[in-house]
Amino acid sequence: MNKSKGQKIDRREFTRKSALLSAAMVPTGMAFEGPAAAATNEQLPEGAEKLSAEGRVEAEARFQQIMSQYGRRFDSEEQKLVHEGCYILQGSLERLRAFPLENGDAPALYLKPLLEREKKPQSAPAAGAAPAAAKKP
Amino acid sequence: MLKESILYESVGELAKRIETKQLSPVELTEAYLERSQKLGPQLNAYARLLPVEALDQARAAEKDIHRGHYRGPLHGIPYAAKDLLAVKGVQTTWGAKPFGEQVFDYDATVIEHLRNVGAVLLGKAAMIELAGGLGYMYASASLQGETRNPWDTSCWTCGSSSGSGAIVAAGLAGFAIGTETWGSIVCPAAFCGVSGFRPTYGRVSRHGAMALSYSLDKIGPMARSAEDCTRIFAAMAGHDPLDRSTLAVDKAAFTNSPAGDLKRRGLRVGWLTNAWKEYEPGVGKAIQSAHKILPRHFASVRDAALPEGPWEDAAGVVLQAEVASSFGELIRSGRVKELHDPQGRVGGYVNLTVTGGDYTTAQRVREILQKKMDALFESYDVLATAALPAPASPLTMNLITGLAFPDPLGAIGNLCGLPALSVPCGFTEKNLPVGLQFIGRAGDDAAVLEAGQTFQRATQWHRKHPKVA
Repeated sequence: MNKSKGQKIDRREFTRKSALLSAAMVPTGMAFEGPAAAATNEQLPEGAEKLSAEGRVEAEARFQQIMSQYGRRFDSEEQKLVHEGCYILQGSLERLRAFPLENGDAPALYLKPLLEREKKPQSAPAAGAAPAAAKKP
Repeated sequence: MLKESILYESVGELAKRIETKQLSPVELTEAYLERSQKLGPQLNAYARLLPVEALDQARAAEKDIHRGHYRGPLHGIPYAAKDLLAVKGVQTTWGAKPFGEQVFDYDATVIEHLRNVGAVLLGKAAMIELAGGLGYMYASASLQGETRNPWDTSCWTCGSSSGSGAIVAAGLAGFAIGTETWGSIVCPAAFCGVSGFRPTYGRVSRHGAMALSYSLDKIGPMARSAEDCTRIFAAMAGHDPLDRSTLAVDKAAFTNSPAGDLKRRGLRVGWLTNAWKEYEPGVGKAIQSAHKILPRHFASVRDAALPEGPWEDAAGVVLQAEVASSFGELIRSGRVKELHDPQGRVGGYVNLTVTGGDYTTAQRVREILQKKMDALFESYDVLATAALPAPASPLTMNLITGLAFPDPLGAIGNLCGLPALSVPCGFTEKNLPVGLQFIGRAGDDAAVLEAGQTFQRATQWHRKHPKVA
């Protein structure tokens, strides 16, 4: 379980953490594509109060990362939608990470080794036919 | 000129007429084409009609049948395919402007299978752009514009198989093909009052279909009855070496006959008590009536509950991560800006930030969920509940705020790749259709289809049609 759930941090602490984390996400020398000031509590999307302190910092860092790479592409409405999206995703991640898993609980996807017998039989292409690669979307 | 009532007949009924040469596939195709040309644009149901190709196929079918080469119940039946299935030489837009001029030089396996049994491709059905994978806020999120519900044209059909739902409901074709990643067959089937079947993951090849979410995408039929869905599914299912996600030959193939043990013992139904928090009043009434009649037609009906857990979160993270890959180039290049919907233009950027660790955690949760659901199916053959707790929404509704109810069943069904069928079970006071959903164990598509057929033998809801002038 996430021990920090339910903990409260004050606005100053939150802004400091956000700024630190977002700065860490941007490699030295990389220019921001657009303005991405750290959010104050008043600017936080709806539902932000349900996140843990670390979750809010992570959501804000996620937002800053997007803004640093692609910020110039968004108008203010779009920025707002991206900001909200970061917090919605964060809520999902917090609930997901809180689900009790043992080390041996394996993921649902497995590698299917490509065995020779499963390969599609090769047939000679007809004269003038496009190469196989050109048939892919 | 064929009567409208014939155009609303089921595939089974049309097939009987065609097999006995009382109905010509060419005449039927011409009638559906004429109706589609007239009503299709009013509903925004089609991305593209294919009159020349359809008539060629219909003439070939007619010739075959007259020579005594009848290929089965889909021979000569016109259908529409969602515009994310590749058809050689025909524009396949995926409902999205950035792909508006896209043309493939091969057919999707599903198209090939349907051609092999003699079905006639009438056109490509309109859809939500990129099947809604980057998120969308409005019904208008489509290159073709918002698809209007034939039951009430001020309402939406739901998505992303929006055109497929409208085409079947308005009698514009014999059946349609839709796809579902999360709700895209079940929801339009319910909103449009048709039967829509989502097969077990891996039973139908996705070769030639737009990939949205590699571990969630499924292709299935939408038709005027569960029996029709069974017939169409039998033609679509099967292992395909071109799609490695398809099941092995013996697990993927489906024959149109219920398993012997099902016939013997009848179906045990688990009535889900926690799939939806609350119903809109009109939906609740129809669902209660459906619940009441089930014990008369099924071996047993007992209350059942879905396991509790972060299933919607897991499904969301899997979807977001896979979309970040399938449409990563579109997002990073900035061409995603060409999408119509304001949410679709930005949603992908958030998807790009899902980490591999979180994606893997979601997949681990998914594995646990699969086992829980498999255990639940020890006691039931099918689970049943409303397809959705609300009827068709107004065309202008903000879907993010307006259809914001939790959907654990959609998440569970799609995360576990379970088969599901929505069949009409009544109407709201505003005459909007309500859907009843049956869900089965992975691989037990036969039980789900049998449940739908049993329900439809006892009811007439699937025989109701909208007045579309």
